[in-house]
Amino acid sequence: MVGIGFRKDFADQFLNSTTLHPDFIEVSPENWIGVGGYWKKMLYKALDKYPLFTHGLSLSLGSPDELDLPFLKKTKQFLKDTGARLFSEHLSYAKCDNAHLYDLLPMPFTEEAIRHVSQRIRQVQDVLGDRIAIEIVSYYTPVAPEMDEIEFVNGVLELADCRLLLDVNNVYVNSFNHHYDAKAFIDALPLDRIRYIHMAGHEQVEEDLILDTHGQPIANPVYDLFGHVMSKLNDEVPVLLERDFNIPELSELQQELDRLASIKAIKRNTYAIAG
Amino acid sequence: MPSPVSTISQHQSALARYCRTGSYEPIPGVRHRHVIRYRELVYNVVEDILQSAYPLTYELLSSAEWNDLVDRFLSEHSCRSPQVWRMPKELYDFVKKEGTPLLSQYPFLLELLYFEWLEVELFMMEDKKASHTSKGDAASDALVLNPEHILQHFHYPLHRKTAAQISDEDKGDYFLVMFRHPGSGSVQFMDLSPALVYLVEQLAIAPVRVTELAKEVCDALNVPFQDDTLSDILTFINRCLDNKLILGFKA
Ligand SMILES: [Fe+2]
Repeated sequence: MVGIGFRKDFADQFLNSTTLHPDFIEVSPENWIGVGGYWKKMLYKALDKYPLFTHGLSLSLGSPDELDLPFLKKTKQFLKDTGARLFSEHLSYAKCDNAHLYDLLPMPFTEEAIRHVSQRIRQVQDVLGDRIAIEIVSYYTPVAPEMDEIEFVNGVLELADCRLLLDVNNVYVNSFNHHYDAKAFIDALPLDRIRYIHMAGHEQVEEDLILDTHGQPIANPVYDLFGHVMSKLNDEVPVLLERDFNIPELSELQQELDRLASIKAIKRNTYAIAG
Repeated sequence: MPSPVSTISQHQSALARYCRTGSYEPIPGVRHRHVIRYRELVYNVVEDILQSAYPLTYELLSSAEWNDLVDRFLSEHSCRSPQVWRMPKELYDFVKKEGTPLLSQYPFLLELLYFEWLEVELFMMEDKKASHTSKGDAASDALVLNPEHILQHFHYPLHRKTAAQISDEDKGDYFLVMFRHPGSGSVQFMDLSPALVYLVEQLAIAPVRVTELAKEVCDALNVPFQDDTLSDILTFINRCLDNKLILGFKA
């Protein structure tokens, strides 16, 4: 399955043509909870056609603040109302000192942080009654690290016993910004935990810095890395294209979906031949 | 030895504070040259969403005034809403509570913010249903009001004049009903006289026939009930049936 992030900027055109025809869509519950009127109609029009995956933004799993349980319960209700197939969130924090920042800030890679965030992921899983998928975020600076990113990520996955949302672009961006080998990083992940894949575009803004903008087409080296990931995975993991800015013609987004699907198909065919 | 949790949360807090204020105190391990991106990202998200919620305010203020307001809001106010689209309401609350010198320069600014927020809120708010039928007679059947409405008393003509043109001479009483069209979902406005405000308030309680409505309005305003009162009200009711402030008739 290849899906697209359902965005208000192209919702109307998307729902009124067949140019862009993904296998599923993804939304952030934050943008739709408690919403009625025009946008609720549009969302339900989309849900009539496509299965839904969800991607939370503001649970702030890594935050020193208390978990927002009332909001988590609203999220649970939203997942139920929409029949969502999966809930995912980020390995980061977006709220601190009781203030939301509406952006994903990097976690300190420490033992203590592993324990803290894992306990909160477990708490969320308990409330939702299901395992969630956690996304490794892109980051532009380390914060008081005591270990490597891979150790941190694997520590959390193990202790929280959660699933992994592998954003291949994020791994690429991080490997560039923090000078490591992206393939080796992926090889060191517990691949059996991968439940969902994100793909997106980025932009190099400085000689030594790439920003995870979601404003460009997927870059070729990220397709290569995706091919590497697919060569390792046995199952039919859903892949999502995230595009938030600089929205192109929908036909261009469809071309990106087609390319992702064809990379997955090579994988399937290889297995079919091997089998 | 692992850091105590307080140290980690102190670092997290320091980074968050920097994103909100833009003034950087060194954090271990952080690259100053790149951490700036986080301040930019946070500021831009907040500024962008405020700009789209408050286009009239944005147009009214100079860019220095606007940027100062956003800066102060972001650094002094703790945004409580996990939903970014609801966050702009907190700018209104912040200005109301904390004040700003802009309020003496633009005495209508607080109302303008509120007016703009109400428009967002009405457009976005959860659906409210009222059972009704579209078949009926405006003169004899009980009328069902669109529950997706807000009645508001303003002291400036925010909906009629460009904000920059509003002056003290415009100060007065402006009664407005704002409502969401059930078909398009768009937000619409209607000016009301005090008598019509009372009428809409009565309809908001329960469906009423126009004759009873006319009597209630006359009683409340202490004016004699006359035939042309009824026909004036009927004209208003028919307008409301057209624009969907009144959805239809009691089933
Ligand atoms: Fe992602």
